[in-house]
This record gives sequence, structure tokens and C-alpha cells, in this order.
Amino acid sequence: MTIANVSVRADGTSVLVTIAGEIDIDNADDVEQQVLQAIDNRMTGVRLDLTYLDYMDSSGLRILFNLASRLKVLQIDLDVVAPPGTPTRRVLELAGFDAF
Amino acid sequence: MASPARVNVSERLRRIESITDAALAHLDFEELLEELLDRICELLDVETSAVLLLDDSAQLLVPTATRGLEDEIRQGIRIPVGKGFAGRIAAQRQPVILERVDRTTVVNPILIEKGIRTLLGVPLLAGRSLLGVLHVGSRSGRKFFDEDVKLLQLAAERVALATHVRLAEMERATTEALQRSLVPTRLPALPGLDLAARYVPGEGNGVGGDWYDLFVLPSGWPCLVIGDVVGHGLRAAVVMGRLRSALRAYALEGADPATVLTRLDRKVLHFEPGAMATVLYAMFEPGLERLHVSSAGHLPPVLATPGGEAAKLLELPIDPPLGVRLGQGRRTTTIAMPAGAVLCCYTDGLVERRGGNIDNGLRRLCAVVQARPAEDVCAAVMSAMVGSNPTEDDAAILMVRRETSVELAPLELVLAAVPTSVREARVAARHWLATAGATPEDRNDLLIVLGEAVSNSVEHAYGPRGGEIHVRLEHAPPDVLVTVRDYGTWREPRGRGRGNGTTLIRACSDEADIEHGPSGTVVRCRRHLTGQDAR
Repeated sequence: MTIANVSVRADGTSVLVTIAGEIDIDNADDVEQQVLQAIDNRMTGVRLDLTYLDYMDSSGLRILFNLASRLKVLQIDLDVVAPPGTPTRRVLELAGFDAF
Repeated sequence: MASPARVNVSERLRRIESITDAALAHLDFEELLEELLDRICELLDVETSAVLLLDDSAQLLVPTATRGLEDEIRQGIRIPVGKGFAGRIAAQRQPVILERVDRTTVVNPILIEKGIRTLLGVPLLAGRSLLGVLHVGSRSGRKFFDEDVKLLQLAAERVALATHVRLAEMERATTEALQRSLVPTRLPALPGLDLAARYVPGEGNGVGGDWYDLFVLPSGWPCLVIGDVVGHGLRAAVVMGRLRSALRAYALEGADPATVLTRLDRKVLHFEPGAMATVLYAMFEPGLERLHVSSAGHLPPVLATPGGEAAKLLELPIDPPLGVRLGQGRRTTTIAMPAGAVLCCYTDGLVERRGGNIDNGLRRLCAVVQARPAEDVCAAVMSAMVGSNPTEDDAAILMVRRETSVELAPLELVLAAVPTSVREARVAARHWLATAGATPEDRNDLLIVLGEAVSNSVEHAYGPRGGEIHVRLEHAPPDVLVTVRDYGTWREPRGRGRGNGTTLIRACSDEADIEHGPSGTVVRCRRHLTGQDAR
């Protein structure tokens, strides 16, 4: 069982979602549900912190791409935090997520 | 009917011989009980006979063998000590004759249902301890006399002797089976770690509460445990089994070793009052370079590093054993584990000898532990510390050696094409890549390559019946070669946002080849490890 911890801190109209652990095809759907539940349509901004994510592959990217396109429609800003040197940063860069 | 008490001398002898018959000794326990109960029914001219054995911890009498009262066993009747007819015999440890059988004198309704009118019962005793009750019943209301009591007591001695032997055998066999199932001699394969272990029962006390355990957490941290429950026999082994699973459960919660042992201590104090145990719990980082250790009263492991320096006891604060209620904080220490180093964990049975000094034992152990293959060191330790001189107490050893990149064998995995296999492959590869000397960046990229290739096979290769995925990682300095193979039929990815996988595989390797054929898909990748040269 692949384990990811999704923690949510809402502050008025913005929300901080932190994902720690690992994401692969085993738990991706579950993680996606938890992330989507953290966001309601009154929000104006979502900050997704992936600093403490030890592993993420294309199943994680799928969550991010889906989320980004949904939020664009809803006119909610998405800010993904993945500092240089983290495993997630590398995957995001390789997949061209920063250019999305 | 002639009074059965009036019997001549030769008849009496015949009866005694019938019960003490040496031929009975060849029967196994169940057969012996049945044969004796048959003979007793015939000799005493009664219709029912029953052996009830005492369940000591519950203070209940359990019907175990019977003639004429089979329903007692079928219905799982239990008689509390002190209650009713059999309960009274057990409580008083005296023969009891009952000449009126009704609800006021017996608690077991089956005796009434069977129309029994008189009963005679005697206790089964081994020395001063009560093993159970033997009783006979008569539907015709036959009276019981002194001679009947004596004859039944003679039979009871025979049953008690057999029961005593049987219980001792069962306890030993059960303890051994429990030990064997909980402390396996075959250890799990952990890439990057070379493992060996021994367990030997004590000469004097037999199997006890020593154990070791090895497992990998979902996060990929390999963990090792060695412990010793104070005491011997079944009780110690049962407590050991409980501690072993409780520790695994707390470990799964992902806490550090000191916290896991603190929680385990709380569990022991609440659920196993009176039990005491020493435990050492260590977690390896996924890269295997360091381990985090906490000791609850357990002797420090011996660490031998390559390079000829003498092996030393780990410098480790030792916190109190579990179960002693000393409210102080437990501590976790971080230890560096260089490639090629050997860690020897053991229980006190290995180093303690009657009349010997434990420091001498520890010195001898340090002298024999070396940074060599785990199985060799284990054999050397057993030879030096035990030899042909069996230990008094049981003893366990768990030897762990960090492999070096030179000797690293290719990692070969056969996985089921299911989502959980992606993590399984990643955990094994993480340890293997660390041992191969891959930098964190190389490791992360190769984990992506592997994860994507395995995910592809899981998602696209097989129908709902599933199939196998074969993974191979080979270290051919300066490269790591990754091969992931399935035997299914490829179908194009479905759904939105799929297809990043192949891009990532190519981006994270120096060379990648993905081949879809009629007999399956093979992904082959090569990645140059940073800072490594060709050998």
C-alpha cells in the first residue's frame, strides 16, 4: 500500500494543501479525491505544497494536470510548491508542468 | 442384582490388572482414555464414564473423553470449579458420591437428560496439582461403595499420569511450534542487506521468549527487532508473539524507534501485567547508510566495520526494559553503517553463562564479530560462543551486513501486475541503488524509470486475469541497466493525461528502448551513475 498524507489548512478564501509521502498508481485516485475535497468553489487560490513528497510519477502528474485544468475553468489560482532539488521538482520540469 | 461390592479376591485382582495392564502403555493418549473408560464402565457396571480436564487459567473443567456422555463434548459443556458435582470434586480434591441427581446437585443438564440416578467421581491429581476429574454414572441407581471408590482412584492415577505426560509434551510442542512460526530461520530477502540468524533453545529451560524480526515499512525503511521476554515455556512464547505483532503494528504507524517502544511499553503494562521484556528496535534509512536505534534494556549490538578495526559494542543509551513502569523518556540514537559493516544483534543467552562474567562473554563476542559475510560471521559466533557447550538460556542472533557495490548481485523481481507492485519494486530498488552507490539524483531518476515501466505493464499489459512483470536491475559500472518485461498484449493508453510515462522514462535515462512485441513488452534503459567509472 502506497501511503501519502494529505493535510489541509484553509484560511479565508485560500487553502494550503500539503502532500507528503509517495504517489503512484496504487493511491493516485485516493489522493486526488482528498485534494479535490479540500477545495470548494468560494476559494480564490490553492497552494499545493509538494516539498515533502518522496516519490511521484506520471500518476501524480495526472492529478496535477487535471487539477490545473479544472481550477482554470473555475478561475481559481493554483500555486505548486516544489523547491529545487526535490524529487517532485524534477518530474514536474521533465513533464513541462511549469509551462502549463 | 447382586451387589457389585461383594467380590472375591481373584476377581478384585482381575479388576486391578485390567486397569494397570501394561499393554495400555502402548496406546496414545486418546486411545488410552477411551480404553480405560470402556474397562471402567464394565468393571463398575455403570453406563457412563467421563474425564474432565482442568483449564487452569479459566478454572473450568472441560469434558475431554467419555463413554455415554458424548453430548457433553459435542455441546462444549464447561463446569466451573466449585459448581455442581464435578466442580465440587475439583474444589475439594476428594471423592464424591451422589445418590440423588437433580438441579440442586448437578449443573450439567446432560447428566439429568441421560437419566443418571447415581454418580461417583474422583479427582485427577499429579502430586499436589489438580489435573481434572474422572466420574462414572449409573442409570439403574447402583450404589457405590468404598471398593468402587478405590478402584476408580486407581484408574484416576493411571489417567493422571498419562495426562501429565501428555500436557508436558503438548506444552513443549506448542511452544516450539509457536517459536518456529514467529522466529523463522528463513529471513526475507532485502536488497543491499546480507542477513543471517540463529535461534537455539536453552539446555535447561528449553524454548523461551527470545525473538528476532525483520520487516520493511511501506515507506521503504527496513526494520529489525531483537527481544527477550523474561521467563520460559508457553507463557513466555505467547507474550513474545503478542509483543512481536504489537511492535509491528506500532512500527507501521511510522514513528521513530523510541516512540514505538514507548507505545509498546504502555501496551505491556496494560495488557500483560507482570510481563517483562528487553527489546532493541532499529530502523534503517532507505539508503541504508544510517540506522536509528532504541534499546529497552537490551544488550547493545556489536558493530564491525571494514578496514581491520576491532569490533565494538554500539555506544547506545540503554533505557529501562518494557513492563517495569519507570516513567522516563526513551531515546533514539543514530548510527552510521558504512558499506561492508556488520551489525550483530543477540540475546543474553549467547553471552551469559552460569558462574561466568557477562563482560567476558561480551569481550569474546566482540573478538569474533568481523566485517565478513553474515552467514560466515554467524557460524563463527556460534562456534566461539556455544561450541559444543549448550547455552543454559535460549539464545538468538540476528546478523546484518550492508553489502558493498562490488558484490552487489543483480536485483531480480517477479511481480504480479497489480498496482501495489509499483511500490514493491520501488522499495527493493531504493535499497539496491543505494548499495550500487547511486547519488540521490540518480536514484530518483531511476525510480521514476522503474515506476513508469512497471505502471505501464500494470495498466496496459493484461486483461482482468492479470499476469507477471519481470524486473531486473544490473550494476555494470559506470551504468545501471534496467529491464522491465511483461508477457501481455500492449494496448494504447486510455483516458486524459496518460502517456507522460514514456516521456519520463526517456528523460530519466541515457538510453531507453521500448519494444512492443507479440509476446509482450520489454523496456530496457541504461543510466550512467554520476561519479562512477568503468571497472
